[in-house]
Amino acid sequence: MNKVLVGMGDFKISKVPDTLMTIGLGSCLGVCIFDQSAKVAGMAHIMLPTSRYMPHNNPMKYADTCLSMMLNEIDKVGGNRLRLKAKIAGGAQMFATHDDISAMHIGEKNMVAVSAELKKYGIPIVSQDVGGNVGRTITFHIATSELHIKTARSDNFKVI
Amino acid sequence: MKDLNEMQMGALSEMGNIGAGNAATALSQLLNIKIDIKVPHVRVVPIEKTDDWFDRADVKIAIYLRVMGEAPGKALFLMSPQSGQFLAKTLLSRDKSPDFDKDEMACSAIMEVGNVLVSSFLVALTNFSGILMQSSIPAMSMDMLGAILQGIFLDNDEVGDTVLIIDTEFSGTSDIEGLFLFLPDGDALEKLLGVFGL
Repeated sequence: MNKVLVGMGDFKISKVPDTLMTIGLGSCLGVCIFDQSAKVAGMAHIMLPTSRYMPHNNPMKYADTCLSMMLNEIDKVGGNRLRLKAKIAGGAQMFATHDDISAMHIGEKNMVAVSAELKKYGIPIVSQDVGGNVGRTITFHIATSELHIKTARSDNFKVI
Repeated sequence: MKDLNEMQMGALSEMGNIGAGNAATALSQLLNIKIDIKVPHVRVVPIEKTDDWFDRADVKIAIYLRVMGEAPGKALFLMSPQSGQFLAKTLLSRDKSPDFDKDEMACSAIMEVGNVLVSSFLVALTNFSGILMQSSIPAMSMDMLGAILQGIFLDNDEVGDTVLIIDTEFSGTSDIEGLFLFLPDGDALEKLLGVFGL
């Protein structure tokens, strides 16, 4: 079994019995898309909602460009589009500021963008742990389709 | 941002030194204890490479301020929870370590420390360079470093390309290691370097 680590602004695809992991999700969103029968899955660590303003940047940073790339890779390893489901976590607001000048709602924007994108491909979000003001480290177990979520506040995992 | 040459790195190190020295003096006055400072280590790191420098899972206390003025950006002071506990206890004259999740007073004390450190750092830079830099009110978070940095990088939907890391160590009655981070908006770093004709 391999632990596949997904960096910020990146995605990885793997098969059973591997796990996919990303460390320290803040306002970024961790998106797991999986085919439970074929036992394949992908995890993306999305930073921003849209690549519209920066078309030449790393496309894996953005919700709109990253997910379509990841879906193509999932097709290649035998995932069936009709069976795909998603679990998402992250999108926190790390600093509760008193000033509204810095409207730090990037986490929310990421969630909206990812939901819209998934809807476009007809992929249901079956569970999620989003928002709040805590950072999350997430591990997706391809064998069981469980997403384990760890925060700095607690030693225990939450499973969704 | 291009790679910096040796002269430019030297100039930034000097700025780091002056800023951190001023911050140490301010901290010493605030806590009323003697504080020495080691010569800080200054690095300029592309944002994509920050994972090589930091352990994303490491839990840290962060005090975050936006920098306004002629060289705008984002400033961050990072310290270990132990250092934060020590500072809060000292400032509030307490014996027991506070629980930052529940203790608003302790959080407020820590934010004030960050505020003083970052502001005095910026004041030193402004005096030295003639470039006006002011800070916003502070915000605080105690969490995984990866998550904290993300919150900062993506604040204002802007992703800059470099981080200036100023590694400092204050030694007093108890050691406080801290990191100043400055994330310049646009060409703020070039502007600072321009003062030296670099």
